[in-house]
Amino acid sequence: MSGGAGPGRAGGGDPDGAAPLPSGVSDLPGAAQSDPPGSTGAPRPAVAGTPARPSAPGGSDRAGGHDGPAHPDAALLDRVALGALTRIDAMRPSFRLPDDVATDANPNTTLKPLGELAELADVVRTAHPLPAARALAGELFAFAWKETRGGELFAELVRGEPQATYPVELYGVFARAGLRNPAVEELLAATTGLRLWQVAREDHTRTLNVLNAERRIGLPPHADFAEVLAMTGLGRRPEPWALDRRTAYGLTHDVFHVTDWGRVPGLMPEPLAGYLRLWLPAWTASWLEERQWDLAGELLAVAACVPQAPYDPAAWREFAAAQRRDGAVPEVGDGPPEGAPPQEQFIGCYHSTLVAAFAATLARAAAGSGGAPGTAPSTPEATPAPAPPSAAVAEHTPAPAESEVLP
Amino acid sequence: MAEQAQENSSLSAVVADVAAGVALALDGGRDSSALSGVLAQDDPLALAAIRVLGADVLAPYALRAGGGPGTTTDTGTDMDSGMAHRRTARASGVGAGPAARGARADGEVVRKALAAYPPGADASEVSLWSYRGLVEASRAYLPAGQGGPESPAGAGDRAAGPAAVAGWLQADPWPQLAHRASQLAALSLPGLAPALATGLAARTEDLSRGFVRAVRRRDWLQAAGIGRWLARVPDVPDTLGLDTGLVYVLRMSGGDARVALHTAIARRFHGRGAR
Amino acid sequence: MASDLSAPVETAALAAEVEGLLDSAEPEGIYRDTRECGAGLLLLGALLISPPTPRPPKTDAR
Repeated sequence: MSGGAGPGRAGGGDPDGAAPLPSGVSDLPGAAQSDPPGSTGAPRPAVAGTPARPSAPGGSDRAGGHDGPAHPDAALLDRVALGALTRIDAMRPSFRLPDDVATDANPNTTLKPLGELAELADVVRTAHPLPAARALAGELFAFAWKETRGGELFAELVRGEPQATYPVELYGVFARAGLRNPAVEELLAATTGLRLWQVAREDHTRTLNVLNAERRIGLPPHADFAEVLAMTGLGRRPEPWALDRRTAYGLTHDVFHVTDWGRVPGLMPEPLAGYLRLWLPAWTASWLEERQWDLAGELLAVAACVPQAPYDPAAWREFAAAQRRDGAVPEVGDGPPEGAPPQEQFIGCYHSTLVAAFAATLARAAAGSGGAPGTAPSTPEATPAPAPPSAAVAEHTPAPAESEVLP
Repeated sequence: MAEQAQENSSLSAVVADVAAGVALALDGGRDSSALSGVLAQDDPLALAAIRVLGADVLAPYALRAGGGPGTTTDTGTDMDSGMAHRRTARASGVGAGPAARGARADGEVVRKALAAYPPGADASEVSLWSYRGLVEASRAYLPAGQGGPESPAGAGDRAAGPAAVAGWLQADPWPQLAHRASQLAALSLPGLAPALATGLAARTEDLSRGFVRAVRRRDWLQAAGIGRWLARVPDVPDTLGLDTGLVYVLRMSGGDARVALHTAIARRFHGRGAR
Repeated sequence: MASDLSAPVETAALAAEVEGLLDSAEPEGIYRDTRECGAGLLLLGALLISPPTPRPPKTDAR
């Protein structure tokens, strides 16, 4: 993708510049070559390990297959990511959509997990440096598309609930990768073109996701991204000590939406990036201490979405220790007991396990693109090397990577 | 263990009483002699409470000595000369009035507290620092001749510390640093420990993170103690919201007297907390 | 304010207590979130599809 792609604020249309695949495509490039359609304008070798990082000034996408500088914590991060992906793969039956998905089924236990699987797997399959991780994530992404019957599901959902945003948000995940369905797009042109569609929604963070979906699909934005961002938990830059779990979750998602899920860290406005660099260590430590692994994992992912945010080895160690032998990361505390029924295991672990794979991928990829790992502010069991007494060094160092990622 | 002591013991209750009295003297402009006027001089609990609160028991004197907003961001050598100046002014100006008598009596009670609870051989570094801070405060804030108890042999030297403190001040990870700084909050009074103040001022962002962590854990006492150090420095990150944070901590603590004393000092000396 | 608590107290024990208060360990963190936040594990996880969207009536007149 070019630098102006990502969640570009200007212009409509598919910014990825890749020709959409014919609709109904369900055989995604999966296992072997995980290069996604539509993820980049620059050709990339399918074989990992070849220097393939776009060197053009606009080339900003984090992409797998590059030979970046080795990450000092590569072994740990790869163990987390591969373990989590393996576990997610084993959970496929629980991700399958029931027959009544468009009518009676609870969307929060059916569509939501599948959408999250697709969103995060798409990042892993394009950004992870290891071919094995990309391949597995690619298969999972293809699986998700297949579950939507090549997008037909979205047509059903939109017909059933023309005012709802979630079918649009979910379809956008696939459209971003070039997986499209013409029937859905015809429908969306009719439903999202209404003045009603522009009525402000309660949750600004969600609105950012809707705006991203519109951009991914090529629909005109229904609101101004920057204006909406200014009203979110991130945009407001709340007192860092006042955050509660809900605000913190909102804030992590604001970051994901601004940076297109970590693909384009340079899109984070600098004042917000500075705010995040300053307070992330405190939040991460705090929610790790509370054993809120899911939120802590999201905060670790956020750190990898912010240019020049330091890598925090101690926090990663603590997070990785929460991962079970089977690769699952419990949402909170110890998670469901070992003998719990699969559905309970699924609900208690699927999201945090996805987040683990996502965060580990971004942290790993950050070594080779945008925010190179810096020195973390001194944390317990941090690197023994004498660290500067504060994060001031990282804080005030101009970000050389930004020129790479900004349009 | 320590936590339980704080909650349950009669010492904690007396500590709270003394802290409340000092805060009242600071805020209400009451006679600064908060100690001798209200404490039984030979009550071991009262003396122990003074030792626990350290230099803070003399905060009203420091305020009178000119430690209010505008004079306290100086550190190091400036501070030393400023302090000498104040001492001279006071020595010449304050002679034999009731205030001077109160100061004399307070000096006496502080001297007794120091003598009764010297840092033992296995005393913690915090204890040594706190002891040293009280010694220094009585020298610096009380009129000449009223403070300055002789240090018990060795204790002063052991607590002398810039060299001793340098290690953790630079090396401690931010959560530990912030916790320790909070324990030493009384030393943030003007002029008491310039090296400590300078060292902590170099880690303002780390202390700020510690403040965030302490509030999130609802450890109001720690948060207020860290907040006092942050109140001294000009470069606290704006987004921290220190002023609203100090008020928040005070209110959320539900009337904890030691928290109230910390926040009163941040407000009275540095103008932070309620603007 | 205090203190009529001047009953003879073991000074050595008090000295230990003084030490304990001065060099006190951190208390356990107390974490409590708004109750509206604790409603359901699932909704905490992410915001893709929360809150649940009301479902359309089952009758699909097509």
